[in-house]
Amino acid sequence: MRKLVWRNLLRNKRRTLFTVVSLAVGVFLLCVLGALLQTFNPTETETSEKRIIVRHAVSLQFELPEAYWRRLETIDHVDAVSPITWFGGIYKDPRPENFFSQFATDPVTLLEVFQGAEIDEAASTAWLAERRSFIAGRRLAEKHGWQIGDEIFLQGEIYPVDMNLVLRGVFTYPADEAQENQVFFHRAYMEEALDNPGMVGTYWLRIDELENVSAVISAAEAMFENSDARVKAETEQAFAASFTEMLGNIEFLFGAIGLAVIVSVFFITANTMAMAVRERYSEISVLKTLGFGRRRVLGVVTAESTGIGLVGGAIGVLVAGVLIRTAAEGLSTMFPLFGAMTLRPSVALAGLSAALGLGFLSGFLPGYAMARRSVAEGLRKIA
Amino acid sequence: MSGPVVRIEHLSKVYGSDRLRVEVLSEVDLEVEEGGFVVLMGPSGSGKTTLLNLIAAVDRPTQGRVIVAGQDTTELSESELAPWRHRHIGYIFQLYNLIPVLTAYENVELPLTLSRLSSADRRAKVETALEVVGLTDRGHHYPRELSGGQEQRTAIARAIVTDPTVLLADEPTGDLDAESAAAVLRLMDRLNDEFGKTIVMVTHDPRAAKHAHRLVHLDKGKLWSDPEEARVGSGAGDDG
Repeated sequence: MRKLVWRNLLRNKRRTLFTVVSLAVGVFLLCVLGALLQTFNPTETETSEKRIIVRHAVSLQFELPEAYWRRLETIDHVDAVSPITWFGGIYKDPRPENFFSQFATDPVTLLEVFQGAEIDEAASTAWLAERRSFIAGRRLAEKHGWQIGDEIFLQGEIYPVDMNLVLRGVFTYPADEAQENQVFFHRAYMEEALDNPGMVGTYWLRIDELENVSAVISAAEAMFENSDARVKAETEQAFAASFTEMLGNIEFLFGAIGLAVIVSVFFITANTMAMAVRERYSEISVLKTLGFGRRRVLGVVTAESTGIGLVGGAIGVLVAGVLIRTAAEGLSTMFPLFGAMTLRPSVALAGLSAALGLGFLSGFLPGYAMARRSVAEGLRKIA
Repeated sequence: MSGPVVRIEHLSKVYGSDRLRVEVLSEVDLEVEEGGFVVLMGPSGSGKTTLLNLIAAVDRPTQGRVIVAGQDTTELSESELAPWRHRHIGYIFQLYNLIPVLTAYENVELPLTLSRLSSADRRAKVETALEVVGLTDRGHHYPRELSGGQEQRTAIARAIVTDPTVLLADEPTGDLDAESAAAVLRLMDRLNDEFGKTIVMVTHDPRAAKHAHRLVHLDKGKLWSDPEEARVGSGAGDDG
């Protein structure tokens, strides 16, 4: 039986190949969509859950007064507050490969808020001591070949100042390597260059316990409710999600595309299997004359289509795994969010299951119909 | 010979609906004794193949009974018929109908995959069947690599490998040259004489008819026998 199934699969190699490829492409797309969806809706880590971002209530484009810093520190359950401002300058040239995230911050409180970051003590001390210094994530430093003591020049785009910085430390972030594609430098240095406007892009708060997230958010928003610059406080995950929300209802869009892919692939595979089964009507009739029952006939046909589904699914998952990894590495320097993009086992399993399900169904439907057709009629087609 | 292996009683087969009704077989009665060799002859469309299909239980009669090896097949469900066919029927087709993706050996082995035989037992049976039809050295060849005569002999090996109660042959020489046809007919003779196989064969070929114990004519759905034309155990093999 297995031999018959295998030989039937190889009977029309080109057709089998095309069916496998169509399934593989479908599963590949499903896996990529799944990986993107999970990237845009990341699972919170314990550390990130304990961080709250405070920004201007209207838009990220509006800044907050520096005076908020000390006031935010007075909120109960807040362990540390660090001002972080997106600098967004040009390194070397505007080409995407030279783009990376640059933040002006307070070197003392930054490491208190980002407790997952690891930097050796000497580097930390050197960074704290020198106003023009900066620290870079390991992956970014490796990409650009930066060594301690190297200078970089960032041409201001948002702000009308340029930053001439010197590397004093390289940090790692084992819990989330995507964070290693960023640069942090002294906020005081940028403020000085800007004639001390006393403004901050966002404040990042580290709280003591997860259960106090709501209380701190409420307190922070209430604290500035009647001020000129009202604030919006949210968890780090909500903050990240707000960027993807700008793209619209991603989940619905990806869901709709995924469904369209599945339906299209199903029709392709089902049509191919229906053709293959129809062509073998007389042969199936011969098998039934030899004593093959309906279940065995159905078993042969569905085994073929499920086999195609398995191979197509496996290829799709493998290719998706490799390409997603490659794409994540390439995109993470420009968009750190993509650094975390990976093909999770649950997504791979879902893709493989979809392929197996499609394969099975596309063989079962014509196989069931064929198994019930008249043997005598099938034999007449031979004569 | 001991009693009928095949007994057909008042068998009718009608195709189509009330508006377009075609009666292919009408009140047919037939008995085939164990070890018998019956040849069915008749013009095209006379119902020969339909009768063969009804004996093989691959088709259902409109009326009447078909009793093979003591079992009224009209009483069996579809799921019961498949194992029944496997045990009792060996079917030989005009166009051989070997599975093209399997070798001659694998084609002969195919019906045995439905049984619980060990692979060693299966191999022994396949080799014996191929030896009987004289194709021991062709087992690894695919159907496309065999001549028509060899393909038909492979199909005969496939039909006999399960040692069925009845061998049904639907114009087994119809697509063969004279030499190959003679070889196939000699083989049918041998299966009948030497191995005691009960054979019902449909043919247009008068030379094939000479091999029969009994010759039966079908015309317009009616059956009639002419004892004068029957070989009754003699005269076989003079056509080769």
